[in-house]
Amino acid sequence: MSTAPLRPPPARIPTPSPQRPRRRGISTNASHYILWAVALLVIVGSVLPVVAAALWSTPLYESGGHPTWDNFHALLTDRTWWTAVTNSVLFAALNTVGSILVGVTCALFLTRTDVPGRRVLTTLLLVPIALPGLVLIIGWAAMWTPAGFASSWLETHTVLSMPVDLYSIPGMAVVAMSVASPTVFLLCRGTLLSIDPSLEDAARTSGASPLRSLLSVSLPLMRPAITNAALLVFALSMEVLGLPLILGFSNRISLISTYLYDHWVNDAQQGLVSAGAVFLLVAVSALLVLRNRLVGDTARFTTTTGKPTGVRILQLGRARWFTAAAIALFLLVFVVVPLAGVVLAAFTSILSPFISPWSVLTFSNFSAVFENPLYTDSIINSLLIATVGGALTTLAIAVLSVIAHRSRFRFRGSLQQGMLWPRMMPALVTGMAFFWSFALLDRSGAIRAGLWGIGIAFAVRSLALGYSAFYPALAGIGADLDNAARTSGATWWTAMRTIVLRLVAPAMGASFVLLFVAMLNDAEPAVFLVTDETPVLGLTMLQLAATSIGGTVAALGVIQMVITLVVLGAGRALLGVRPRA
Amino acid sequence: MPSLQLDGITKQFDRHTALHEVSLTVQDGEIFTLLGPSGCGKSTTLWSIAGLHQPDSGSIAFGDRVVFDHGRVNVEPEHRNCGVVFQSYAIWPHMSVAENVGYPLKLRKTPRAARERRVREVLELVELSRHAGRYPHELSGGQQQRVALARALAHPPDLLLLDEPFSNLDAKLRDRSRQWLKTLQSQVGVTTVFVTHDQDEALSVSDRVAVMDRGRVRQVGTPAEIYEHPADLFVADFVGTANILAATVVEADGTHAVLRVDGVAEPLKVPHTDRRLGPVRICVRPENIDIQRGADASHPRNTLTAKVDSQAYLGDHYRYTIRIGGTPVIVTTTRPAATGELTVSLPPEDIRVFHEEADSHEENHHAPVH
Repeated sequence: MSTAPLRPPPARIPTPSPQRPRRRGISTNASHYILWAVALLVIVGSVLPVVAAALWSTPLYESGGHPTWDNFHALLTDRTWWTAVTNSVLFAALNTVGSILVGVTCALFLTRTDVPGRRVLTTLLLVPIALPGLVLIIGWAAMWTPAGFASSWLETHTVLSMPVDLYSIPGMAVVAMSVASPTVFLLCRGTLLSIDPSLEDAARTSGASPLRSLLSVSLPLMRPAITNAALLVFALSMEVLGLPLILGFSNRISLISTYLYDHWVNDAQQGLVSAGAVFLLVAVSALLVLRNRLVGDTARFTTTTGKPTGVRILQLGRARWFTAAAIALFLLVFVVVPLAGVVLAAFTSILSPFISPWSVLTFSNFSAVFENPLYTDSIINSLLIATVGGALTTLAIAVLSVIAHRSRFRFRGSLQQGMLWPRMMPALVTGMAFFWSFALLDRSGAIRAGLWGIGIAFAVRSLALGYSAFYPALAGIGADLDNAARTSGATWWTAMRTIVLRLVAPAMGASFVLLFVAMLNDAEPAVFLVTDETPVLGLTMLQLAATSIGGTVAALGVIQMVITLVVLGAGRALLGVRPRA
Repeated sequence: MPSLQLDGITKQFDRHTALHEVSLTVQDGEIFTLLGPSGCGKSTTLWSIAGLHQPDSGSIAFGDRVVFDHGRVNVEPEHRNCGVVFQSYAIWPHMSVAENVGYPLKLRKTPRAARERRVREVLELVELSRHAGRYPHELSGGQQQRVALARALAHPPDLLLLDEPFSNLDAKLRDRSRQWLKTLQSQVGVTTVFVTHDQDEALSVSDRVAVMDRGRVRQVGTPAEIYEHPADLFVADFVGTANILAATVVEADGTHAVLRVDGVAEPLKVPHTDRRLGPVRICVRPENIDIQRGADASHPRNTLTAKVDSQAYLGDHYRYTIRIGGTPVIVTTTRPAATGELTVSLPPEDIRVFHEEADSHEENHHAPVH
């Protein structure tokens, strides 16, 4: 294999310069074929080496070896693997049930009743979606673990205590709920707002009380949305890495993701891990395919805002205060306290209920971050990837989307599917896919040595997110507008460049903001791609948090949180970016 | 010289055939209208001419330039040099009026000075010179429509294609715009293909009309020919209002035929070129039915008296519904008739006779088309 001539690496990120059509010699159709081939090679083709690695006796970068089932055999006979699978399923199930209960309840009360302070409560509920996932987990670990600040404080000063041990599967599910519940909330709120209020009016005129009409008419109508949300949360729970790594590892609770991580990082059993990744890929894809079957893929693009006009607000009477208090308490425990924990941990030298935090306030955690080249490099690298990678990915999404939706290109349908495909891929599998692809195609290691390797993996992973932010705007531009340009004498590319892409520029901006945030905070794909020269913020934090919850990681979390909120805030102010499920 | 020639254009969408071998010839400088109900293939035909749809077979030539030939030749839309006005106008919202109109010229690398001159000229033509710097959202619907027309005329095009350009305007403005378009087109002299489902529009602006139904051209002719001598029942029924009655040809000599109309006592002798005998359908326009009033009521032969089922006053005329042989028949007149009963006669020279076609593809002649 080593003698085989090396093919060029998969082009970085499919970013044709808009000038390409002007070049003589490449017809519009040929340029479509080239871009299509490059895009599918990078997006979909990168998975094939994972399968190959799972079925090959030696790592693909070594010569020799032969096809084998040994990796799968080893995996399936490993009892710890099956423990991990059981744990994962249990974790996912608990998380799903809890998030559905909380998310649906909040959606009903916060969109359809006169609970006081709905806007503030809604905003608080959605905060975890906007924030980097790690920040919240670090906060939970600092506050609600058995020795954490908040749980110790409760035990010392009140009769209450934290009923759940976070270093257990139910405990991890509780933490996961703080991120999954708002996802469920968003999906259900959209449906609730789009339900025709006259349906409930009909129930009212038939003699049902307001609450009864809400529960007997609107709740059943939400069933598709709830199914959708449940499958999505379950699938995503199967692949989370950060949470079990930080909370489960110390107690030797292994999930599928940590099993794979551990065997990759500590045992270097790459074939075995590849086989596990194939298993994970098949399981998660099957769940998401099932979801698409049940809900229809277009559900992904329904606006989360719905049509706010005509929403009937139920009067709850006195119960509204009680309801508001219950929701507020939930948000206090699940969002406010953990976030306060991150900030406190970042600004104190030691966080303990027995010492007043005010007496140990310090900036030393931040100076520790800025003095350590590993951390500064991580921040700079992540900002680079988020800025340059985000911009290039936005451009790639825009170009691929216009080919997929505005051309007569023969395989445009496969391009639409291709851009959604990364949603199906667990983050770990994406990372491993590019590890093996680079191992096969880039023997020199040039791509992995720089940031391009991680950048491409992050880009592919966020492709579907950017596309789903971009597509509705594109679909909103009438086909007549580009047809008018064509009949005026513009080539296809000129029509796209001067008309369509101009008109969707704000959506490209919104897409960029979302991609920036996603790529700044992404960690999992980097597990397999990172080198000493290319640390990235998300993974550095993850690795640090896995060993200790100190002030340093909290300081990094605060930095990450501030950058994210500033960018999202600017995006929201300038471009109307909204959080997405 | 024909300016546009379509020959055997066929287009299939999945299993549904949108166009069945459509052949048309449009003469230089005329306004040629494609008229038909929605789904008849008129827009598909227009987009095939513009190059935005690719037919499955057939050929299209602009003058002696073949732009489509059974898929072997398929000139891209940008190289066909058409000016198109879309139903939605498709004015680019991020460009000013002048930029919209100047866009085709810019693509043709017209020097700046010449471009600006031409934009001014065309905007003057559509009476929008004062709005050159405005953006589309600052314009009214009628003005937007004129911007679209100015843009379509700017390059200037070999062929002007209009897709229901007036359908978004209110009735008054639509009427004015038709007159204005006709005048403008005769000034510019560009060959124009116009698509509409509105028969009034087709009759008032066109030099010639092609009536289409379910992917086939049913008749091509001047507005008067189409209205007064419809080629078949579909055309008769679609263009204007037609009363269609069952009748039997009892005698036919090639110039005239003698008919028995159900519900009319006397046989009628009408101009007709066919010699076949047997059951037919006849068509007579509401305004052509004579109402016999007062004293002369009993004079002409073949009159009949019927009860008025319903009546309506429409400002400039009255409309009555009566029954002849069980079939509802509409009669219009500018003078009110006595209520209750109406005595009418069918004028033989205005009756059109249609044989039932054995190989007819029209399964339901009388399906409501509006």
